[in-house]
Amino acid sequence: MTNRKLIDFGLNPIIGYILLLIGFIGFSYYLFSKTEFAEYAFILIALSFVSKLSETKRNDFLKYCFRVTEYRKLRLIENFIIILPFITFLVFKELFLFAVILAILTSLMALLNFKSTFNYTIPTPFYKRPFEFTVGFRSTFYLFFFAYFLTFMAIYAGNFNLGIFALLVVFLVSLSFYSKPENEYYIWSFITTSKGFLFEKIKTGLVHSTVLSIPILTVLGIFFLSEITTLLIFQLLGYIYLVTIILAKYAAYPNAMNLPQGILIGISLLFPPILIGIIPFFYLQSTRRLNDILG
Amino acid sequence: MIKIENLSKHYGTKQVLKNINLIFEKGQVYGIVGENGSGKTTLFRCIAGLEKYDGKISSDLDKLKNHLGLLLTVPFFFSKITGREYIRLLCNARNIPTGDIDERNIFDLPLNQYASTYSTGMKKKLALTAILMQENKHFILDEPFNGVDIQSNIIITDIIHKLKELGKTVIISSHIFSTLSDTCDEIHLLKDGEFIKKVFKEDFSKLETEMKETTVSNKIDKLGLR
Repeated sequence: MTNRKLIDFGLNPIIGYILLLIGFIGFSYYLFSKTEFAEYAFILIALSFVSKLSETKRNDFLKYCFRVTEYRKLRLIENFIIILPFITFLVFKELFLFAVILAILTSLMALLNFKSTFNYTIPTPFYKRPFEFTVGFRSTFYLFFFAYFLTFMAIYAGNFNLGIFALLVVFLVSLSFYSKPENEYYIWSFITTSKGFLFEKIKTGLVHSTVLSIPILTVLGIFFLSEITTLLIFQLLGYIYLVTIILAKYAAYPNAMNLPQGILIGISLLFPPILIGIIPFFYLQSTRRLNDILG
Repeated sequence: MIKIENLSKHYGTKQVLKNINLIFEKGQVYGIVGENGSGKTTLFRCIAGLEKYDGKISSDLDKLKNHLGLLLTVPFFFSKITGREYIRLLCNARNIPTGDIDERNIFDLPLNQYASTYSTGMKKKLALTAILMQENKHFILDEPFNGVDIQSNIIITDIIHKLKELGKTVIISSHIFSTLSDTCDEIHLLKDGEFIKKVFKEDFSKLETEMKETTVSNKIDKLGLR
């Protein structure tokens, strides 16, 4: 599956894995340099990846194909492949206890199946304007609670950088809501022009991301008043990247975002002024793609 | 009114629709029948503007797609969106206020549950409810009776009658002949991308007999069932 996704992204799988590894090491170093609670966050992140393999339908299929012992072995192997980089990094950091805890939790999760079709509907503040934030919030709400927890810890420890990290988590998760192209029916149904459609998507994205980020922004603004300019710059950057991702999504539509787009966005992270060129470029491509469906 | 002139559609070298000419009038219900792969869904997608094609499709309204309710064979639902939110999404898309959704929930669907957890029939009913609430002028219903229980079958039949009464244009495809004969004014037979026959209400039973003879004939005997 990962191979296929990398190929769809326009990347040779081997290069993709190398880039993922580099990204993982970079992210891990960043996380551990920014907060003293990194090991807890690290375990949570690892388990969130592992939990993706516990989906009921997928596991029902595996149970149908394999005998019980083979199925259990397979689940364990899959889970450990996922957490291998995390455990390696924890061992490298000499956090042996956390590495053992992660291994135990991962083994236990091989026994669990998470039913994604359970009857309980997770409440969302975004029910009035479905769908990106409605679906996204329900899938990742715990990450927002995690971000709010980090904000609390940032204030408790007087660590402004940790607060900024919490704000970035909110925006990064919000950006991920736009990673997959929706079924064409959900574009076709709109009676608007491509410009109107994009405007509405951007407006909704900005309003909804504000709802999620405003508690962090307000609290950090109060407790780190001297850093308010930095805070607002990060908030603004969050908005700009949200707009960029929305435009990039529809610029690639009906396909998922591709490698050249990824490279452009990657370059913009190093040199944000380049967005002045990227945003209009994605906008023009998006309107062209959407015109095919919206007419 | 929807007017189709010289409509052809190719997928690569394969021609799936061949020079189709047809007019769908207001206040009429049209049935499209044909074997799997005969081109029904492609025809619907062309009318909806979801496929590029050769020829011309026009209507008496400014932009056909903006007044068209399209019920897909297999409606697509996001994994974590409730029935209520799905209806709201489709109504928002058409700038139509939803009103009291519960009151208009005539199929008694569990609207607060995730739509993706619905059964096949419930999904169909939800998608139909949503396009009805969009207040469209034209309707394309691709297998609306598929997987739906008997009670809902009766309701859907009545809905189609009501749409006809209201002067809407309704185009239906179905593999259940009785549902078509109950609802349609005309049935068009599609074969290999071409309309080979047009039958009016009075000749529906003749068409059914004919179809049984030509499509089934002695095929069942070939199975050698014992």
